Amino acid sequence: MSPRRTDSGGRIDRQRSIRFTFDGKPFTGYPGDTLASALLASGVSLFGRSFKYHRPRGVMTAGVDEPNALVTVLKGGVREPNIPATLLEIYDGLTVVSQNHFPSLGFDIGATNQLGGKLLGAGFYYKTFIGPVIGPLKGTRFWMFCEYFIRRAAGLGRAGNEKDTARYERINAFCDVLVVGSGPAGLMAAKTAAESGKRVVFADLEPRLGGSANWSGETIDGMPAADWAEAAVTELRQNANVRLLPRTTVWGYYDGNTLAALERVADHKPNPGKGEPRHRYWTIRAEAVVLATGAFERPLVFPGNDRPGVMLASAAERYAAEFGVLPGRKVVVFTNNDSAYATAAALKKAGAGIAAIVDVRREVSEAAHAAALSVGGEFLAGHAVVATEGGAKLSGIKVQIFDAATGALSGEPRSIEADCLIVSGGWSPVIHLASQAGINPQWDDARQAFLPPQPTQNWVGAGAFNGSFSTEEALAEGHAAACQAAGTVDGLIEALPEVETPALRSHPAPVFEIKAKGKAFVDFQHDVTADDVRLAYREGFVSVEHLKRYTTLGMATDQGKTSNVPGLAIMAEALGKPIPDVGTTRFRPPFSAVSLGSLAAERYGDLKPERLTPMHDWHIEHNATMYPVGLWFRPMIYGDPGETVEQAYVREAKATRETAGIVDVSTLGKIAVQGPDAAEFLDRVYTNVFSTLAIGKARYGLMLREDGLAMDDGTTWRLGQNDFLMTTTTANAGKVMQHLEYLLDVIWPDLKVQLTSVTDQWAGAAIGGPKAREILASCVTGTAVDNEALQFMGIVHGEIAGAPVMICRLSFSGEMAFEVYSGACHGCHVWKALMQAGKPFGLVPYGLEALGTLRIEKGHVTGAEIDGRTTGRDLHLDWMLSKKKPFIGSAMMDREGLMAEDRIKLVGVISLDNRPLNGGAHIVEENNPDEPRNSIGHITAVCYSPALGKYIGLALVKGGKSRHGSRAFVADPLRKRFGPVEIVSHHFFDPEGKRMHG
Amino acid sequence: MVDVLSPLKPVWKPGTHGNTANGIGVVLTETQPGSIVQLAAWQGQEKKLLAAIKAVSALALPDGAGGGKSGDSKAAFGIAPGKFLIVDQNEGLAAIFSGAVTSEVGTVTDLSHGRTALRISGPKAEWVLAKFFAVDFALPAFPVGSGIATLHHDIFAHIQRTGAEQFDLYVFRSFARSFWTMLCHASEEVGYEVS
Repeated sequence: MSPRRTDSGGRIDRQRSIRFTFDGKPFTGYPGDTLASALLASGVSLFGRSFKYHRPRGVMTAGVDEPNALVTVLKGGVREPNIPATLLEIYDGLTVVSQNHFPSLGFDIGATNQLGGKLLGAGFYYKTFIGPVIGPLKGTRFWMFCEYFIRRAAGLGRAGNEKDTARYERINAFCDVLVVGSGPAGLMAAKTAAESGKRVVFADLEPRLGGSANWSGETIDGMPAADWAEAAVTELRQNANVRLLPRTTVWGYYDGNTLAALERVADHKPNPGKGEPRHRYWTIRAEAVVLATGAFERPLVFPGNDRPGVMLASAAERYAAEFGVLPGRKVVVFTNNDSAYATAAALKKAGAGIAAIVDVRREVSEAAHAAALSVGGEFLAGHAVVATEGGAKLSGIKVQIFDAATGALSGEPRSIEADCLIVSGGWSPVIHLASQAGINPQWDDARQAFLPPQPTQNWVGAGAFNGSFSTEEALAEGHAAACQAAGTVDGLIEALPEVETPALRSHPAPVFEIKAKGKAFVDFQHDVTADDVRLAYREGFVSVEHLKRYTTLGMATDQGKTSNVPGLAIMAEALGKPIPDVGTTRFRPPFSAVSLGSLAAERYGDLKPERLTPMHDWHIEHNATMYPVGLWFRPMIYGDPGETVEQAYVREAKATRETAGIVDVSTLGKIAVQGPDAAEFLDRVYTNVFSTLAIGKARYGLMLREDGLAMDDGTTWRLGQNDFLMTTTTANAGKVMQHLEYLLDVIWPDLKVQLTSVTDQWAGAAIGGPKAREILASCVTGTAVDNEALQFMGIVHGEIAGAPVMICRLSFSGEMAFEVYSGACHGCHVWKALMQAGKPFGLVPYGLEALGTLRIEKGHVTGAEIDGRTTGRDLHLDWMLSKKKPFIGSAMMDREGLMAEDRIKLVGVISLDNRPLNGGAHIVEENNPDEPRNSIGHITAVCYSPALGKYIGLALVKGGKSRHGSRAFVADPLRKRFGPVEIVSHHFFDPEGKRMHG
Repeated sequence: MVDVLSPLKPVWKPGTHGNTANGIGVVLTETQPGSIVQLAAWQGQEKKLLAAIKAVSALALPDGAGGGKSGDSKAAFGIAPGKFLIVDQNEGLAAIFSGAVTSEVGTVTDLSHGRTALRISGPKAEWVLAKFFAVDFALPAFPVGSGIATLHHDIFAHIQRTGAEQFDLYVFRSFARSFWTMLCHASEEVGYEVS
């Protein structure tokens, strides 16, 4: 048995031991222990070093509010720093190291920082490291020099570099009533709501539901409170309408009664179960919320209040009652309210000796007085602790007579031997979620605390959250809150459970600080002292917002759970104003630290969905190098062994021009435009006319944005009188769909047009080349594909290998070409049949690179030229701008700026030095390789043209056609490329289109 | 008849997977209906469209989004105001509806190849779906027959409840393999069977 472990009691299972290490040393604990309880039980009091002064720190709390005992967990090569030891449940093999020290926790060189005394006060870094001139180091350069050393010396845990392989998940939940907090108020609320038939989600950040009932030692309904809580939880567990969420922190309250919660699913296990996430991020949408989040006990501010062995009273009580751990054998109680007297009684009962009770109040309640007498030890009313003694472990305290009204100390300080000092400075309701959801908290003088604001969303508070600190009040308010949340006006139960508890009141004397010599800490985690707060005031930081930022009070990972109110009180005193006049900062999410993994959840890693065409697997089987295009994957090349990318695409493009090539065009956006007004609608959105298009014909269309700039292009096929199939570029499919839906919903709701994305309905294969028609003719049944049956831009229906197909004769490659559409589930079947039919003709599959080459040779534009800055005229598509009708963009496309002579316009460029060109390279007129200047445009697309035997490109150049035949230079300083080019027409190959018209 | 190629082929792994210590949480299948058809009525023509649906499929649907019916081989549900998804294990439904729904009433869009139909059933079906969609799948809120059009990140989905513990999902075919992979991944925790 360890020196601090009691023989019985608590939630721990003494039948089984758990082995873990802390700073490399082996320890044991029991199932149910936290790291803090297990180490305390083993006699460890030193848990870490403080942020700035490297002072030794122990455990102050027993929960999420812990500012001191932060540790780093090592798991599978991953370091996770700044985990409160008070929340970390131990398991076999747990490996933990302490933080912020060198070379060891016991001997830390950084502790010499304490000798700096006031030098390291608030704003030290701002004042010291910005500005002074030391040799060449001045201003921010000096700061940058110092920063490395400061960051090494100050800080919390160190994050690792290993990839976190843990699994994280998100999940959604809906309920009638969400109850946050599982103490008596929350339990009563959950019971009441469940009994009324409501769907209830019941969450608590602790592993064991029941909150204070688990350690209060009170009696509820004639049984120990912990048993009552266990029975209530068991009942709730059996109710199908109730979802219990232990180990779940509700950390954010958002609009529409949407709350965010983090469930620590597997942190307490050596390894998660199969498929089990480490953390689960819950998005909970609740009709109503009951906030029963309890209250945090506050420390008192006095010199040496951070020494290991100083602990909040409620924490000491929890360690004794929940974990069977005595925080000390000789305990002194220091308080400004009655609640610590119950703690003293509990510790005494658990086996600790109470050396003294020190109360800042001269007069205390009868119940408190009686409790003091019953626990034995000295009772020092009207006294205060003015110092603590010992090294990295408390050995005693000093007390002095104290006047709570004036704060004055008198008499000589005297020492009392003690190994534990428990402190209670009053209670602060945990109103974070309410604050996130509403307006500013309200100060309450009686409780010396901020109370929750009036609800602006549908939540009801209960218990200590409301400042109702007794269990009797908590049960009553929990019941009432649930009735309100469930919409039940009358109470559901006849009588509330009866509570037996001493008549102690938690309302404190308005004392936050004992002013005596020495460092008195307000924010333990950020090492902010009471003197720092006053210094900030003297330096002009009179707003609470400025105070917070200048001193960093409340800005550490604990977000000031123990420090905000004392800090504010000290600030108010310095200002000479009452606390409510100073105000407070609003809480914002998250309530406590949230793993980044849970926020990203499955979105990180395996959920970037891939869009695959029906022929995807065929491409892979045939050596395609796949290329991501948005979410789609498309073949870039089908490389032969040893081929470079250029060799592959040149081979593919050449074969297409000489025999035939086939390319997967399934990714093109396809939108079904249907309805009696479909033709009219297309006339309005395209620059050219579609209402005259015959059924069974396709037409190339250009779409402008409202500002007159080009938006997208593609062919639209008329399949029936009221039935069009619009195709868009792959990249713009979603954008065009949104654009069209907006127009129909907002601008022209009177048009009877239905839009449906049918991109995935169709598999598309474009087959082109001199042999394309012969290949098709050899495998298509049910229709002829000769010139008569299938004219340019005509559509026919037939079958290939038994699958229905729709064939449109159109060409992007400039060859005699056909787009063969089939149902997507038949796509691969049809593709294979085409490949088989093409075999005797030398048909080759080609990828995006060859596709680009063929289109560049033809001067066809894509997204590289329709880049959001070019007009139809810039791209020589003037012929498509109808003068017979208005269309989207027609009013704006004639603006002066869009008609200007000096606009960059589409041209072709040929490399004259026989070297490749680069997309994005500038075109300049002057032959000045060292300092190229005065860009006249840029290259948009490049390739090696097998048809021309040259490196060519498309470019947007000022003057456009007027420069045809002239010489310029390509300038690409970043890629170190400069060389002569000839500017030519963008129609490099077969400008008359003889090949595609056959 | 040409075989229909499932987009799931390389990732289709029949059998049981994941944590089956507590049994099979969900069964995942691809239902491969012959027809998936979208019908849309012009404003004011909804009742006529519903009548056409009833005449063709014998499914009497309530007016409006969300309501639906499912039978052994046919199912239908509202996916938006005046818009319905009709599913039939047999092919050719779009052609039949094209004859039954005139252009004065609305439109018929064949999506039989464009959507992949997945089924998730079992005691943990609601749990697994809750990982993907911000939809209240509890039986009282989402009764048998009802449906919804929703989204999981980039993946659009239509979902219909076809049993107390059974849901049919229709996702874009090009996303189906990714979605299926995610569905399997999310089901590991509760144990799943692919059949």
